[in-house]
Amino acid sequence: MGNVLELAEVRKSYRPGFIPKKREVLKGVSFTVAAGEIFGYLGPNGAGKTTTIKCVLGLVFPDAGTISLFGRSPLDPRSKDRLGFLPENPYFYDHLSGREFLDFFAQLSRVDKTERPGRIDRLLRLVGLEKAAGQPLRKYSRGMLQRVGLAQALVNEPEFVILDEPLGGLDPLGRKEIRDIILGLRKAGRTVLFTSHILQDIEMICDRVAIIVGGRILSQGRLSDLVSEKILFTEITLAGVDEASLADFGDRLQTREGRTLLKVFDETRVQPLLDLVRERGGRIHALVPRTQTLEDIFVDTVARR
Amino acid sequence: MAGKTSLAPAALLLLLGGLAGFKVGLDGMPRAKIPGAGIVYLPSGPAVKAAAFGFSSLTADVSYVWAIQYYGNTAVPDRRRHFNRIFEVIADLDPSWIDPYLTAALIAHHDFRDPELALKMYDDGAARNPEAWIFPFEAGHYCQLYLRDYERAKGYYRKAMDLPGAPPIARRLFANAAFKTMDYQTSWETWREVYETAPDREIKKIAGNHLYNIKAAVDIAALNAALERFREIRGRPARGLDELASARLIAAVPKDFDGKDYLYDPKTGEVKTAVIPWKR
Amino acid sequence: MTILVIARHTFKEAVRDRILYLLLFFSFLSIVLARVLAVLTVGDRVKVVKDVCLASIGFFGALMAILIGTGLVYKEIEKRTIFTLISKPLRRSEFLLGKYLGLVLTLAVMVAAMTLISLAVVFLHTFTLEIRMLSAVFFIFLELLLLTAVAVLFSCFSTPILSSLFALGFYLIGHFSWGLDTLIRKTPPGIGRTLLRVLDAVLPDLENFNIKTEVVQSLPLPPGFGLGAAGYAVVYTAFVLLLAVLIFRRRDFV
Repeated sequence: MGNVLELAEVRKSYRPGFIPKKREVLKGVSFTVAAGEIFGYLGPNGAGKTTTIKCVLGLVFPDAGTISLFGRSPLDPRSKDRLGFLPENPYFYDHLSGREFLDFFAQLSRVDKTERPGRIDRLLRLVGLEKAAGQPLRKYSRGMLQRVGLAQALVNEPEFVILDEPLGGLDPLGRKEIRDIILGLRKAGRTVLFTSHILQDIEMICDRVAIIVGGRILSQGRLSDLVSEKILFTEITLAGVDEASLADFGDRLQTREGRTLLKVFDETRVQPLLDLVRERGGRIHALVPRTQTLEDIFVDTVARR
Repeated sequence: MAGKTSLAPAALLLLLGGLAGFKVGLDGMPRAKIPGAGIVYLPSGPAVKAAAFGFSSLTADVSYVWAIQYYGNTAVPDRRRHFNRIFEVIADLDPSWIDPYLTAALIAHHDFRDPELALKMYDDGAARNPEAWIFPFEAGHYCQLYLRDYERAKGYYRKAMDLPGAPPIARRLFANAAFKTMDYQTSWETWREVYETAPDREIKKIAGNHLYNIKAAVDIAALNAALERFREIRGRPARGLDELASARLIAAVPKDFDGKDYLYDPKTGEVKTAVIPWKR
Repeated sequence: MTILVIARHTFKEAVRDRILYLLLFFSFLSIVLARVLAVLTVGDRVKVVKDVCLASIGFFGALMAILIGTGLVYKEIEKRTIFTLISKPLRRSEFLLGKYLGLVLTLAVMVAAMTLISLAVVFLHTFTLEIRMLSAVFFIFLELLLLTAVAVLFSCFSTPILSSLFALGFYLIGHFSWGLDTLIRKTPPGIGRTLLRVLDAVLPDLENFNIKTEVVQSLPLPPGFGLGAAGYAVVYTAFVLLLAVLIFRRRDFV
């Protein structure tokens, strides 16, 4: 299983209007996406995420560097055969119905005539749009457009799917559904690259991650490598022990309705605390070990730059 | 893909050559010329003006250029048919534009050999631009040069010379035309004006010559009439001009403009000026 | 073929454009008013009706070609629908040619409609079906092919308003070639004249598609003219489309 996508030192500058001053958007971006993984591409607004994706798709031509998509140039139509793409804030042809829309893209993707109706039905079911399939896209809500866009991205049963902010504008239920679909894709052996601002989602499903800030990749690698499993502190909510006794275990955050929330930094003090509570006949209401999250890394990375 | 890009400029050049070739070929094919050469109908001037959406002047320009080409193309028969209409339209579009009227007059004269039509063009111009001296001026010239009609020329020059901006020569041409139509009084008065207001010696000299000529013409005509009368009465030609005076046929023997005597040859009965007027 | 898929889609979308029907309405109006114009003129009435009908088809057809053609590619870029399209196995050239073909099909339908109405109006005058007018319409359609290509070309890199102006400029230049002729005849032989001659060969001569006079006056066309004009249209259109493809290919879709 080789790499599905390889970028090496990709640079891109824009010259807005006729002004000779150039605006460098990508300053030497390099990363790889291996087959069968879910790759998260994150960064603040304006960092160059969408520009990177446009370079990969052949919408925009990089000034320098190489991009290899299934070992081919992005401009080669053959690489597009195995690719699916969902743009950010998708806008589609108003007057087509959901089904007509998918049919159009199925034709463009060279899906066989006999296969088309069945596949379209399957996809509509997958994204939960069977009922709305006959309505014109003009009438779809943002969430529905996102779903039909995802269906379109999958219409050629691609090996590699690129999703630009697929979870934006969805309610928590919708986000869960999309996350499940993405996980399902990995299970079926496909590769997914997606960008998102919602770090929890990335944390939940990605295998590998790259962080781009100001046109440069600042961090990339397996999520588990980036995010240490170290426990930063443990939050314990308890009752039945007086404050004075708790003092040397950790910081008391608050006491309310007889319950105390304690932040214990030293791991070794957790067990003695639990013993103390049991001794005094108190109760543990909650025990939450707080590890480093992706958000911590992200904020840290961006702040450090 | 790279191979395609390098082929492209060659393909472009090839296509460019191709279309140029077709164009030249098509140009060579003669299209039938028909009476009116494609003018199936002509809207009236006000209609065209309305359709020009305020670009009347530009439309006039374009129409004028087209008209010149059209009338310059001698292969087109029967161009006369819409002549009036065409130039009427141009005039409606831009009434104060001088050239079309003048050109139209030329076309009327040279192509259609129709002097009245030519004069009509000048008159149209004058009617729409009463303050423009050029139209009666040119019309006067036309009458004088081509029609040798000094009466009409005189009328035109009269109009022209008083209009603002008219060149001084208009006055002189008027005076000359008056002379040619034997309106000696007017001619004399006008030449006197010119003589008095002459800005340089050259003009003064010319005016002087004309005045001399007029006086000579008038005097000699009077003298000839008197000589004729003398012969009737006495039955013989007069021996000298003073005989006419003593016979009380003339009040006194006139002198020429310079105060010199006229010459009388009793044998031929001719009265002449002492000098050639232009060589004074 | 992917070009046909795009063409069919473009046709369906163009046919819904309201501008088209507005222009169609006005063309019908002008064709019907040919009758009225006939009364106001100094010429043969039937000929006037035919001439006005053909002129309407030509004029409104050109407007349709320009107004819709200049928005064709621009809309896709502006609305970002092109992003999804490019992600499919579709060459940029196929996309562009598909759009062109779709619009040409749309124009064919519109021109056919206008022609039918014209034939009907003329029929009411002469009580014969003037088939000869169809040949004039054929030539008008050739002109529209070229004009559409020009509109699409400008649509690749310019806003609809500017593109429309450029395309209109092309149309005007194409119909005023006789001005250049006059200029050439008046220029003394030399470099200037040769340059003007080259310009004359390369600038569009849309009058080659204007056989209204011949048709209306029932005159014969010189032999080979039809083929020559068709060839001219095809080669020029190919030139413009190739230019459009080249420009479109290297364009960044920001």
